[in-house]
Amino acid sequence: MRWLLNIWRTLTKPAKYLTLGSVSVSAFLMGIIFWGGFNTALEATNTEEFCISCHSMESKPYQELQQTVHFSNHSGVRATCPDCHVPHDYGRKIARKLEASHDVYGWLFNTVNTPEKFEAKRLEMASREWKRFDRDKSAACKNCHQYESMDWDSMSKLAVKQMKRAAELDQSCVDCHKGIAHKLPEMGTARAPELIAEVGRGVSGVQVGQTYFTALTKPLFFNEKTDVEAGTLNIATKVKVLEVKGTRAKIGITGWRKKIGAGRVIYYDFGLNILSAQLSKDAALEEGVIKTFEEKEDPMTGLKWQRVEADIWTDTDYLLTDLQPLWDYARSTYSTACSVCHTQPAEAHFDANTWPGMFQGMIAFVNMDQDTQALVQKYLQEHSSTFDKSAH
Amino acid sequence: MNRRDFLKGLVGTSYVVLSGSSVLAPLNALAASGADASDGWLTTGSHFGAFKMKRKNGVISEVKPFDTDMYPTDMINGIKGLVYNPSRVRYPMVRLDFLLKGHQSDTTQRGDFRFVRVTWDKALRLFKDSLDEIQTKYGPSGLHAGQTGWRATGQLHSSTSHMQRAVGMHGNFVKKVGDYSTGAGQTILPYILGSTEVYAQGTSWSLILEHSKTIILWSNDPYKNLQVGWNAETHESYAYLAQLKEKVAKGEIRVISIDPVVTKTQQYLGCEQLYINPQTDVALMLGIAHEMVEKNLHDTKFIEGYSLGFDKFLPYIKGQTDGVEKTPEWAAKITGVSAEIIRDLAKVMTKDRTQMLMGWCIQRQQHGEQPYWMAAVLATMIGQIGLPGGGISYGHHYSSIGVPSSGAAAPGAFPRNLDEGQKPIFDSNDFKGASNTIPVARWIDAILEPGKTIDSNGTKVTYPDIKMMVFSGNNPWNHHQDRNRMKKAFHKLECIVSIDMNWTATCRFSDIVLPACTTFERNDIDIYGAYANRGLLAMQKMVEPLYESLSDFEIFTRFAALLGKEKEYTRGMTERDWLVKLYNDCKAANAGQFEMPEFDEFWKAGYVYFGEGKPWVRHAAFRDDPEINPLGTPSGLIEIYSRKIAHYEYDDCPGHPTWMEKAERSHGGPGSDKHPIWMQSCHPDKRLHSQMCESEEFRETYTVNGREPVYLNPEDAKKRGIKSGDVVRVFNDRGQLLAGAVVSDKFPQGVIRIQEGAWYGPVGEDGSKEGGAKIGAICSYGDPNTLTMDIGTSKLAQACSAYTCLVDYEKYQGKVPAVSSFSGPVEIAL
Repeated sequence: MRWLLNIWRTLTKPAKYLTLGSVSVSAFLMGIIFWGGFNTALEATNTEEFCISCHSMESKPYQELQQTVHFSNHSGVRATCPDCHVPHDYGRKIARKLEASHDVYGWLFNTVNTPEKFEAKRLEMASREWKRFDRDKSAACKNCHQYESMDWDSMSKLAVKQMKRAAELDQSCVDCHKGIAHKLPEMGTARAPELIAEVGRGVSGVQVGQTYFTALTKPLFFNEKTDVEAGTLNIATKVKVLEVKGTRAKIGITGWRKKIGAGRVIYYDFGLNILSAQLSKDAALEEGVIKTFEEKEDPMTGLKWQRVEADIWTDTDYLLTDLQPLWDYARSTYSTACSVCHTQPAEAHFDANTWPGMFQGMIAFVNMDQDTQALVQKYLQEHSSTFDKSAH
Repeated sequence: MNRRDFLKGLVGTSYVVLSGSSVLAPLNALAASGADASDGWLTTGSHFGAFKMKRKNGVISEVKPFDTDMYPTDMINGIKGLVYNPSRVRYPMVRLDFLLKGHQSDTTQRGDFRFVRVTWDKALRLFKDSLDEIQTKYGPSGLHAGQTGWRATGQLHSSTSHMQRAVGMHGNFVKKVGDYSTGAGQTILPYILGSTEVYAQGTSWSLILEHSKTIILWSNDPYKNLQVGWNAETHESYAYLAQLKEKVAKGEIRVISIDPVVTKTQQYLGCEQLYINPQTDVALMLGIAHEMVEKNLHDTKFIEGYSLGFDKFLPYIKGQTDGVEKTPEWAAKITGVSAEIIRDLAKVMTKDRTQMLMGWCIQRQQHGEQPYWMAAVLATMIGQIGLPGGGISYGHHYSSIGVPSSGAAAPGAFPRNLDEGQKPIFDSNDFKGASNTIPVARWIDAILEPGKTIDSNGTKVTYPDIKMMVFSGNNPWNHHQDRNRMKKAFHKLECIVSIDMNWTATCRFSDIVLPACTTFERNDIDIYGAYANRGLLAMQKMVEPLYESLSDFEIFTRFAALLGKEKEYTRGMTERDWLVKLYNDCKAANAGQFEMPEFDEFWKAGYVYFGEGKPWVRHAAFRDDPEINPLGTPSGLIEIYSRKIAHYEYDDCPGHPTWMEKAERSHGGPGSDKHPIWMQSCHPDKRLHSQMCESEEFRETYTVNGREPVYLNPEDAKKRGIKSGDVVRVFNDRGQLLAGAVVSDKFPQGVIRIQEGAWYGPVGEDGSKEGGAKIGAICSYGDPNTLTMDIGTSKLAQACSAYTCLVDYEKYQGKVPAVSSFSGPVEIAL
């Protein structure tokens, strides 16, 4: 160890023959060289080429990315690996690079070098990335997609409804938009996780001719292929499966609509504001989507109602055979969340059409995600004095 | 270079990475260090705001506002007095005759102040035995434990939750619906605007300041009322009021306060006042509507696209249905506002962007549903609902409404209800044909007339035969109307239990009184800033519970143990376990959106911030697309005419807003020949309802001759030979009280103000405390509800009508009795 001590002594000895100037200048030059080299290395490791040079990255995530709109689209702008996975500001970029020691470990010990190993680790890896996105509210996404620049008018009304709320909260994009660049891991759901943990993600293999109930508010589609949304299907809504193609099912939604506007909203029954589905204007007007039947006037409003059936497509997930687990979850949530400030009124204290006003007018301190809110409101309506005459 | 080469190069030097992360560590530690609990300053808060408190030698020595509180309330000076005051309930106590004779006691002695000190064990045993007796003899309809109120803040120790969970483990009981503050509003508005509105977030102040040209403060005094909040108040609304004041001074926004009196807000803003005869607001609104129609100022397109039933309302305006055209001249006669001004108001309100901000007072009167409904109709006719700085709000004077919500998930609370699967010992749900839920303000009616059936919000309610009441952190002997009627009702009750920190009148009229400690004698957490939900506040215990008082958690854990249900009650968790659970549940709900540190770190810092919310416009989504975003009304649209209400066929709440004469009204109305003065009993400036009246030094800053101030018009006072400082007797056929005169030109002729929350302190003719038990006894301090009328607003809401009240007053000539409100009971030794 003597040589080490010698070097130490040399280094700690004040300069005897060199001027302060030459020490400073050489230190300065070495700093430039080192800094330049460091930055070159940093830049080199911040390219797509570098990322996919490792086989496990090239074979899975990169292949998946190529299938998405972030790789190829009509405007020709492409998001590369570092655009999403490395922070753009310098300080956090360095921190992220230091974190990447984990990747080194993974590469050294072949953690994900087979498709099976990759799949087994997919959720864990995705979760780590999501957490990172959550921490900075998806700053990487917002380099290109900003709430402030969104043109609400060019979006569908249904999209605006979700998006405006997200903008108000400056919500992290991946809260809702998961699985947009790579395959979604096998997992629970980001939406209403406690509810889904309770009721499950629906049956596997839906049967034609069977009726099901929605476990979440679900998007509707024009056909079995398109991603163009045709509306939303409310939670805890009864649907009948008419046809199944792959992961899509054509469903029949029966109910009544008010004859106002484009008639886009389908309710549970005549005169009852219990929401079943909202269609986009295009869907409501499209030939063959809505079948219409008899009309009646609602004596409580004077509005005309019409019985309808909408035949339209949705994904086959989140369809339950039984409604009761949803009601059980809603009852327990209502009892806990709505008694923080006061005794919660009995379900049958109000009628089905009074509940939305009371519920929405009291929701401020209540801690529920949108799906759960919609579920609890529907639970209250369907257990109101309109259906249960035992109260009072 | 490719990734493989780079990584291989790194292998030998991977320790750099490790040391790299440790370099970051001290930074994290720095960020985490907050206030140090060991320096004597601790963090807590209450309805009055968030504070730093200094503990010295085991007592609270100093209270100062939280660093972020730029507009702390004066009431901060009353905080210490909440803890240290002669009204504290020190020991469990039982009313003398109840201790001797139990359920056969002489109930006319209630309120005679004679109590006997007992042990906690004895008191809780008596409590349980009484519940046993009631449930056995009468079943659940004999017990009302559902009357709850403002409590003290804290999500864990919330007193009403504890009481209802524990009593609920014993047996079922009668509950209430609605509240005393907004009973009529929260019932009518779901029919009209599809939400309670009174408890909903409103358009952000910043947008109002930016877009409004005219702001109408209708019977609304936000500058007074924003001092307190349902949770620890941030007082951020005051920053916006300060900006409004500037804009008023520069002439950028015109603010008109429509009110019989000059409010604190009006004085602060330096804005205009429009005097109106009390209780005549609907007539003024109808006159304005008539002028809008006459001059075609109303927005017919908005009315057509967003509302229903204007065509059914129009004939009423034009007098085609009742033969009375609602012209400005017609309205002028009733309201005392000239026809010219009414015409001008119609023009002003429709010319530019107009924001209507409604207060709660005008719905706390007979037919209180009507002014709220008619105001919504006016806002619809103006056609700016859903626009920034336009439309109508019913809440901008309350709990940070108008300060954008952070959007974070709020913490839950200790459960009020039994857990799934738990059953009470007395599990009968046989209410003997009576209702299990009654409108909040009708419980005295129920006690007096059990079995009677009344109309209520489209249904029938049959009064249960109530024999026992349990109150916790709740003082109905403040907020209910007509004390002498309450006394009569209380004579019919077998047992009353009160759990409170101070000897409120409710405690004094109870049989068993249990001492709860104050907010500052226990650990808890709270939402910081109610509707703004600005963060989470640690409520750190300042001092140990005084005397024999216990936390609500401890009281009811002991009670549950008597039932053999301690584990069920606490779920086997301690106070600290619960705090950590409530915090961690909140942290989990906010994961990914709002960063929250570990519990210990939060507790040490005293708070966690969620940041500011984004400005927001009420009803904007509805305006944007009423089909996809319908209101919660039966039609989904604004209902100017409600077929649903019409089909109830209530004479006092027909299908559209209607002017109806009141049972009592000043300025020429019914009863004004006998008692010419209208008494307003608004929310106090120096208290939260009756909370803090007991804070002695602070109370002395505003009392007059030791009594609650009564604000008098100079002319009226002169006529009666009264000057400021005199003791005044205020009276009507329902009761009498003494108060201290403050003569002020802010109050018009025929109007007086006594703020509610003044502690009831009846005394006998001889001035004795014992004599206070008698019906008709004079209140020695000045509780206005000694005089108010106990009737429902209408068959719809059945809410309280405190603002329909005529009185007269005179200089008090007799020997002035000592105030009996604050000294607690007379302890009798057995």
